[in-house]
Amino acid sequence: MDAFSEELMGFVQKDNQVEASKDPVPEIHLPWLSQHIQSTGSHGQKGTNFAQTTSICLNFIQEALLKHQWQRASEFLQCYLQTLEDINSQKRQMAPEIIWKLGSTILYNHPKSNVETFSAFADRMKNIGVQNYLKISLQHALYLLHNGMVEDAYRNLNQAESWRYGEMSASQEKLIKLIQAYRGLLDYYTWSKKRTEVSSFDMDGFATNAATQDMHSYFRQASVNLHEIIKIPGVWDTFVKSYVEMLEFYGDQDGARQVLTDYAYDNNFPSNPNAHIYLYKFLKKEKAPEDKLISVLKILHQIVPSHKIMLEFHMLLKKSNKEEHHKLGLEVLLAILDFSGCTENITAWSYLAKYLKQIIKGKHREWVQEGWSSRKDWWPTFHFSYYLAKKNWKENRILALKKAFTSGILLGKVKHQKIILSSGVGRPMFESSFCLLLAE
Amino acid sequence: MDFPDNLFPTFFLPGPPGLSDSPASYLAPAWSDYMQLLKPPQTQDPSINPQHEASYVTKWGRWKSDTPGPLPFLLPGADPWDPELMSQDLLFRGRVKQPARAKATIDVIEQLNHFLWDHGDIAFGPLGMLLQENFNLGEKKKSRKNKMVMNTEWLLRDLNGYQPKGCPWAHLSTRQRRFSLLGGTVLGEEVENLLGGLLHEELETRWKRLLLDEASTGGALGWVPGAKPHHGQLVYPTGRAHDQLNFQKVKLSPTNEPQALGDPSHILLRGPVRQVVTRTIQGEGETHKAACFPLLGFPDVASGAPCPHPSHESIACFRLTLILSSALVAVRSDHHCALWKLEHRGPPEPLQVLEMEKEATGISLSPHLPGELAVCTRSGAVCLWSPQHGLQQIHKDPETFVFKDPSSWRWADFTAHPRVLTVADRTGLRFADARAPSDCGELLFRVGAEASCQRGERVLLAQYLGTPDPLPLSPTLHLVCTQFSLYLLDERLPLVPLLKWNHGLLSPPLLAQLLPPPYPEAPLPLLLGGLGGHLRMLHLSGSGRTPQLAAPPQSLPSLIDSLPGFPVLEPHGQQLLQERLRAPLTGLAAVVPPGCPSPTMLLFQLSAAGDVFYQRLWLQPDTSSESAGSPSTDHAEDLGLNSHSQTSATSSLGTVSEPSAVSWKPRAVACCRRWLKTLLQVPPTLPSWTPPTFSQHHLRWLKEENKGKVQEGLRAAMAEGRLLLQGDLAPLPPSDPPPAHEPFGTEDKLSERLEASWERKGAIWWDGQRDGSRLPRKRQSREKRRTQLSSSFSSVRSTSDFSDVNSPLPHPPKTPSPLHRMSETSQSLELSQELWVKNIPRERRQTLRDYLAVLPSPDSGNCSIPQFQNPSSQSLSTSEPGKCSVPCSQNPRTQTLFSPLPESYSAFYSQNPNSQSLYSQNPNSQSLYSPEPAFNSVFHSQNSSIQKLPSRHTPSLAGSQPLRKKPRMGF
Repeated sequence: MDAFSEELMGFVQKDNQVEASKDPVPEIHLPWLSQHIQSTGSHGQKGTNFAQTTSICLNFIQEALLKHQWQRASEFLQCYLQTLEDINSQKRQMAPEIIWKLGSTILYNHPKSNVETFSAFADRMKNIGVQNYLKISLQHALYLLHNGMVEDAYRNLNQAESWRYGEMSASQEKLIKLIQAYRGLLDYYTWSKKRTEVSSFDMDGFATNAATQDMHSYFRQASVNLHEIIKIPGVWDTFVKSYVEMLEFYGDQDGARQVLTDYAYDNNFPSNPNAHIYLYKFLKKEKAPEDKLISVLKILHQIVPSHKIMLEFHMLLKKSNKEEHHKLGLEVLLAILDFSGCTENITAWSYLAKYLKQIIKGKHREWVQEGWSSRKDWWPTFHFSYYLAKKNWKENRILALKKAFTSGILLGKVKHQKIILSSGVGRPMFESSFCLLLAE
Repeated sequence: MDFPDNLFPTFFLPGPPGLSDSPASYLAPAWSDYMQLLKPPQTQDPSINPQHEASYVTKWGRWKSDTPGPLPFLLPGADPWDPELMSQDLLFRGRVKQPARAKATIDVIEQLNHFLWDHGDIAFGPLGMLLQENFNLGEKKKSRKNKMVMNTEWLLRDLNGYQPKGCPWAHLSTRQRRFSLLGGTVLGEEVENLLGGLLHEELETRWKRLLLDEASTGGALGWVPGAKPHHGQLVYPTGRAHDQLNFQKVKLSPTNEPQALGDPSHILLRGPVRQVVTRTIQGEGETHKAACFPLLGFPDVASGAPCPHPSHESIACFRLTLILSSALVAVRSDHHCALWKLEHRGPPEPLQVLEMEKEATGISLSPHLPGELAVCTRSGAVCLWSPQHGLQQIHKDPETFVFKDPSSWRWADFTAHPRVLTVADRTGLRFADARAPSDCGELLFRVGAEASCQRGERVLLAQYLGTPDPLPLSPTLHLVCTQFSLYLLDERLPLVPLLKWNHGLLSPPLLAQLLPPPYPEAPLPLLLGGLGGHLRMLHLSGSGRTPQLAAPPQSLPSLIDSLPGFPVLEPHGQQLLQERLRAPLTGLAAVVPPGCPSPTMLLFQLSAAGDVFYQRLWLQPDTSSESAGSPSTDHAEDLGLNSHSQTSATSSLGTVSEPSAVSWKPRAVACCRRWLKTLLQVPPTLPSWTPPTFSQHHLRWLKEENKGKVQEGLRAAMAEGRLLLQGDLAPLPPSDPPPAHEPFGTEDKLSERLEASWERKGAIWWDGQRDGSRLPRKRQSREKRRTQLSSSFSSVRSTSDFSDVNSPLPHPPKTPSPLHRMSETSQSLELSQELWVKNIPRERRQTLRDYLAVLPSPDSGNCSIPQFQNPSSQSLSTSEPGKCSVPCSQNPRTQTLFSPLPESYSAFYSQNPNSQSLYSQNPNSQSLYSPEPAFNSVFHSQNSSIQKLPSRHTPSLAGSQPLRKKPRMGF
């Protein structure tokens, strides 16, 4: 019994405070446990009046937020500010963050709030509880950006970047990096604006030179910050794109390639399909050899076989001289059509119809059989059902034709027409494929 | 498929959950709960093209409800409902010595005390068996020679009559003293150690289930659209054991409330229904001929004899395969999963049943291939199941994915690829490929620092958000709910949540549903329901981009919010109503009726008490923005620190305007009243424990001729672990009924009223008074006295003492019937248990009852009285004979599945010759197709039964348990 009581006790304690224990995997933490315990009334003491009123107030605010009663919530929030003076030091430390979350939500949605109000609130909250300075600054800056106030946002980020308070924790260091990255992004915006200006200049050399130098200084500022953030594992699509664009402009092709390759193939990074796309597009622009392009897309094919760029991959494989690439080309098409979001992709179906014809002419029937064997038990229902035939015929005749043709080849063993007839794809399918065959 | 080409910047830092130092903990995509509405800065210059969109609310309006709370849709069922075990029942309630360090303590002593009293046979039975040979319980001294036998006759006599429970000054005879000194330690330790351990285990599981009841994950309420646009069916379980699956036809109306059409048809199952999943088969119902075309088995047909002109008639001959229907209903019970086919006309047709050795935890129907299901069990196995191809094991791993977690809960769902499933456990989600089952798939979600999970966070629900209909959202999205947050994941970008929202629900979120958009371009509502009845609605948008919350999430009223709509009752009635409305939410189904002038949504909710409530929501163009706040700008500026004086705050509270408040309309109140009236007529539940009404003394000194009978009855009762009934022992000597209380005058209103309110029917009595229908009442009350007297002899278990025999109002229907089509007065005012005696003259019923009580039961006393008295109910399920026999025998539409009796099996299928022939034609369903021994086709194991632990709360169920345990002696 004791063990169980201890376990329960553990629940309660954990409910109150998250303490770092040596056990790497904590027990499941149920936020409603304290409710159960309180409902028995066994607690004796439920806490001070102060704690009770603040927690009730918090509940009211949350309720009002979920009912979109912004005015009511803002009024309750005024009362809730008393938690900043809580005697419980832990709660007192948590308070600014909670107030910021609630307050920013209210101000974001309140019909009569505006940028000035939000900024005033953010500026005040930044300085209560030093821990949240960076976080609030970043969110404030993003809010300003969202409202199109780029200069203010830039100033905000600049301020945050130069903020120092004691020793920085690991998370704060990362946060600073992120803030710098956003600032770098804004520098990049300025840079790209300057670049369009410079390219439109047809003045004398001096003005152009000055403008170019100005532009270059923005590039340096931006590249330092962007380069830093890209080294940390994460999803940095916007940052990588901007950085690579600048590198390309200054002719650092190798550097750009390196950045993109790292972003795509570093194992510490999440498997982000966009990283592969960026690399592929870069290489394509660079007019890299086809083998290289194929190898990039081959990896993407393994990660996301349903990506729309796979159609381009198929064309690449088709053009290739190697037979194994031709075989892969079929697999790529079939894999696209495996996915429920791609069933009506007319390009994929017409590619498949054309390619199947080509393969059979090229006497590679076994490829078709191989690809078909893993699909034959579910593709007929998934793609070639009577209902779908009818629907496709009604909505998109070309698609229905392509599908009918493909089904004829895939399902058939001897002759297409007969199989289509007997397979009972239904009248529309039958007619369409028949027409097609006649036309041939 | 398009993949968003610009993802929101985020850190990706693998690690254990709860690293508070991780910056990701507040820079996840939704770093501030609502602030994620911000778009990530686009690569183009934001100052040139500031992305300032009109807010969601001004663009689309917001969902509003007609009524402040959900309204009852169906009348409450005839079965009483009492809330399950609550934390009050388990936790220590005494004064805590150190209030500062208060903690939850299971009150073990109290529990043990209850247990010893209620289940003395289990507690002391084994000891009794051990000591039986050495103790003489007062028989004639035939074993005098044996010195090992001790005569306890005097000891028992000393004990008899009083129980010095806990009283240190109670008189103890020398004999008692000696016995307790010698045997006390041994006997006490035995009980303490063995029983204590078991009880602890039981309490622990009960407590865990109380905190997180994972059985109802997914929800047990399903909606099946009908052939006509405004028709459909609700599928849900009712009954005390949730073992009756109902199919209620519903007519929706664009403006009025939904209507239930007729009584539901039901199927009685042998286990509780935990989850109901429905899925329409696309394209079915266009024409009936079209529906005849086999959807599966296409290749077989292709290789068959070719027909040169496949006309519709010739296609119809292919009606061999089962999956032709317009909708499929999959049901998960504890150890069974079953699949039904629902056609627009006709009763639901069972397709196949699976029996599992280990408890099933999840079932889902494929959105891609009709009739394909994913099933998972506590053994860690996940199978792809289709009636056509049988079972295919995809994944089996008793261990959890990411880190070790004791929970054996598993969940399986589909993905955008029809051959790839997701398997979830408490620690994460993983892909499992049906084409390569041995491969260990990639992780889609992990409870860890990547998703900035908290310490102790666990996956409670996982759901694939794709549907067969193309939605504006990408079909690759998955929803993951933990006890804190909701995550949206794209299967093409594993481990990085695209959206995270802290739902703040104070109960486990076990229900979720994604709905189609109300307008072509509008965001999609995503409903999230907690077990405690709390509902949240999110608005997802983002076609081709990352999914985003288009508006701040909304909360929707729960059942308890309807309480003000009901009239105020007497305290016990009020408590009953509150308990009923607070019952856990076990099902959620939202329907968007087609062809409404303004976008409308009907939200059906199912509670654990079996009540179905509904609520109409409609998308109202925003008007509140003007009226929302009076001096809002000032207020907003005042949000600073200097202005939070209490006085200003309290004064401003009074002026809070609630533009969205809706009031109770008379029609809604009338609806609630009708429902309540029926609810109050439902007999209350039996007290969970009643003291035994016999003494050992009485037993042992019975007359010789009765002895054999008594022993038999006693043994049978002990074997089943139920209370010993009077009927088991011997017929009581017929005694004259006590003189009935004579009214003082012709109109003894006071006694009548007292009597009525004693039976908790004060309000009804008052109504009856007002209606002036008192004449039939008197006759009934006389009759009632008679019934009560007679029934009190028949069986302690019978609920007759509590059932409302003679209320002036119509008797509650046996099954929930539509509320909006008030049922006509039921003809029968008799007890449900007494229906069998309808044809017997009243004066002979008592004799018959006595006779039957003495009659030795056909199957070793294992039957209960109503069961073998009613020949028509023999073929029914034996799980709860006393309860279900009447509705079953009355309703010709009732079918029994999982019946243990072979004749009932054939009886069931003989009702349905169609299905019989189907089974014989389908070789797969007959043969045991099970790659894993844990799964068996139920057709071969009808005799196995789902066993229940004898529970304090269901003493009446215990009597019907199959004879499994050995008889125990317990003195």
